[in-house]
Amino acid sequence: MSVETSSVAEPVSKKRKGWGQDKIYTNLSYLTMVLPGAIWLLLFAYLPMPGIILAFKTYRLQKPPADFWIQNKFIYSLIKSPWVGLKNFEYLVLPSNMESTITYIRNTVLYNLLFMVVGLVLSVALAVIIYELTNRFWAKLYHSILFLPYFISWIVVAYVVYALGSANGILNNLFQAIGWQPLEVYKLKSAWPVIFLLANIWKYTGNGSIIYLATITSIDPELFEAAAIDGATKWKQFVHITLPHLIPVIVLLQILAVGRIFGSDFDMFYTLPNGAATVKDVTYTLDVFVYSMLRSGAPVGYPAAAAFLQSIVGFVLILITNYVVRKTRPELALF
Amino acid sequence: MAQEETYLNPNLDRTISLDSTLLANRKSRNMMAISPATNAVLNILMIIACLLTLIPIYVIVISSVTSEAALTKNGYRLWPEEFSTMAYTFLFSRGSIVITSYINTIISTLAGTVLAVAMVGLYAYAISRDNFKFKTFFTFYAFFTMLFSGGLVSYYMVTRQVLQIHNSLWALFLPSAFSPFWVIVMRTFYKANVPNEIIESARIDGASEWRTFLQIVLPLSVPGLATVALFSAIGIWNNFFNCLLLVDEARYYSLQFTIYTTLNNIRFLLENADKMVGLVNVSTLPSQTFRMAMAVVTVGPIIFAYPFFQRYFIRGLTIGAIKG
Repeated sequence: MSVETSSVAEPVSKKRKGWGQDKIYTNLSYLTMVLPGAIWLLLFAYLPMPGIILAFKTYRLQKPPADFWIQNKFIYSLIKSPWVGLKNFEYLVLPSNMESTITYIRNTVLYNLLFMVVGLVLSVALAVIIYELTNRFWAKLYHSILFLPYFISWIVVAYVVYALGSANGILNNLFQAIGWQPLEVYKLKSAWPVIFLLANIWKYTGNGSIIYLATITSIDPELFEAAAIDGATKWKQFVHITLPHLIPVIVLLQILAVGRIFGSDFDMFYTLPNGAATVKDVTYTLDVFVYSMLRSGAPVGYPAAAAFLQSIVGFVLILITNYVVRKTRPELALF
Repeated sequence: MAQEETYLNPNLDRTISLDSTLLANRKSRNMMAISPATNAVLNILMIIACLLTLIPIYVIVISSVTSEAALTKNGYRLWPEEFSTMAYTFLFSRGSIVITSYINTIISTLAGTVLAVAMVGLYAYAISRDNFKFKTFFTFYAFFTMLFSGGLVSYYMVTRQVLQIHNSLWALFLPSAFSPFWVIVMRTFYKANVPNEIIESARIDGASEWRTFLQIVLPLSVPGLATVALFSAIGIWNNFFNCLLLVDEARYYSLQFTIYTTLNNIRFLLENADKMVGLVNVSTLPSQTFRMAMAVVTVGPIIFAYPFFQRYFIRGLTIGAIKG
C-alpha cells in the first residue's frame, strides 16, 4: 500500500536519507497525535487486563510496605493475594448456585442469539424497503422516525415500561376495562422476553439499517436494471444482487456480535425490570449477575470468576469464528 | 503486501467504508421502480411501524401532562381526563436534585465530546497515514481492545483504586471519552475522503504534519468528526453505567442515574407501602407526573437537537460524501 514511502527496494543511500531528520520529525508528529488516545487505552483498557487473574486469587486488601516498588493498595494486594486455583469457579457451580449460574448464562446467550437474528432480518428488511420506496421525502421521514429511539436512553424506556405495565399502568387499565386478567409486568415472568425483544427492536432497528442502506445504495444500479430487463423479480434481484453485496457487512457485524455473546446490553437488562426480584430468572444476564455480586459484598473472586468467563469465552469465540470465516471466505475475515 | 502491513483484513476498510450518498445512484430508478400497489403496501407498513415507534414517546409525554388527580383516580391512560402542566412548574421551581444532575450531565457531555473528537480524530488520522512507521502497531493496539477486556471486576477495581476517578465529574465522561470502534471508522473515513495527493502536496510545500492535519485535513473531515461528536454526546448524555459504577455521592450524580433511582425508589416504596405503614407517608413522595416530567426533560434536548445533527449523520454515517 505504501509504495511511495517504502524503502525496501531502494538503494542504500536513499534508505539512509529516508531516515534523516525529516522522517524522524514526521514520525514524532504522528506519535504526538496518537499519544492522548494511546494513554486512554493504556489506562482504561490495558491496565485492567492483568486484573483478570483476580479470578484465580482470594483477594485481600493490604497496605503495601513503605519500600514496595509501587505504593498502590490494589496493585500490591493483587500481587500478594494467594492463588487459589479454581476455587472461585467452584463457587459458581456449588449445588446451591448451579441452577442460577446456568440460568444466567442461558439468558445471556439466548437473548443475544434472538437479538442477532431478529435484528439482522429486520434491519436488512427496513433498509431494502427504504431503498425501494418511490417517494424519497417519505422514505427519509420514515427513516428519521425509526432512527429516533436510538437516541433515547434505556432509563426513559424503563419509565415507559412502568407507565404501560405497572399495576396502575395503561395496559392493566385497558385489560381490566375489557374484563381480562390484570397485568403487572414486574410480577410476570413470561412478559420479559417479549419486553426485551420489543425494546431491542424499537431501539436498534433504525440504527442497524443504516449500514445496510448505505451498502445497498452503493450498488451499481445498472446491475438491477440489467436484471430487471432480463425479467428478474424484485425478490430474485434481492437474493442474487442485494444479498451478495450485503454479505461482507453482515459477516463483519456478526463476527463482532459473536464475540459479545457472553456480554449484554447492561443498561437495558438492569433498568427495565427496575430491580424486581420476582422476575430475576428471566431478566438477569451475566453482566447484571457480575455487577450485583460485585456490589453485594461477596468475595471479589466470585464475580471475577464470572467476569473471567465472559472475557475469555468472548475472545475465544471471536477467534474461532474469524478462523472459520478465514478458512471458507478469506476475503470476509475480520483479521 | 497489504496483508503483511496490517493485522486487519483490508476488506474491513471496504466494509465499513460506506462509500456512498443516499441519493446517489438514483438516476435511472424510474423504469425499474416497484409497482404502485407494492409501494402503497410498503408505505402503509412504514406508517404503522412509525406510529408504533412513537407510542412510547407519546406515553411518556402524555403521562407528564396528566393531572395528578386524574392519575391517582384512573392510573395511566392513553388520553387523560384532565391536563396539567403542574409537574413542569414544580420541576423547574424547586427540584435541586434534578438541577444538579442536569448541570453535571451538561458539563460532562461537553467535556467528553470535545475529548472524544480530539482523541479519536487525531489517533485515527495518524494510523490512516502510510508514512507513519508505527501505523500497524497502533492500529492493532486500538483494535485488540475491541476483542479482549479485563472484565468488569478488574475494571471496577482499577478505576476506583488505581485511577481513582470515582466520586468526581471525571467518572461521568472520562471512561467514555475514547472509542476504538470510532477510531477504525474514522481511519476509513480519512482514507476514503481525504485524497493522499492533497496531503502529499501540502508536505511538498513544507507544511508540518500537524499543520497539514489542522489546515487541510480537518476542514475535509467535518461530516465524519461531527458523527463522532454526535454519538459521543448521545453516549455520555444517556450514560447510566459510569455513574452506577463509579459515583456514590449525590452531588456527582448524572441525569440518567438520578431519574432511574427516583423511579426505582418509588416503585419499591409503593409496592411495599402496606408493609411499611407509619414508616413512609406515600403522599409525600414525588408525584407520578413529576417523575414522567423528569423523563421528558431528559429526552428534550435530544429531540430538539435531532433535526440539526441529522443532516450530518446522513452524510457522516454513510461516510464518504465526497467520493463518487
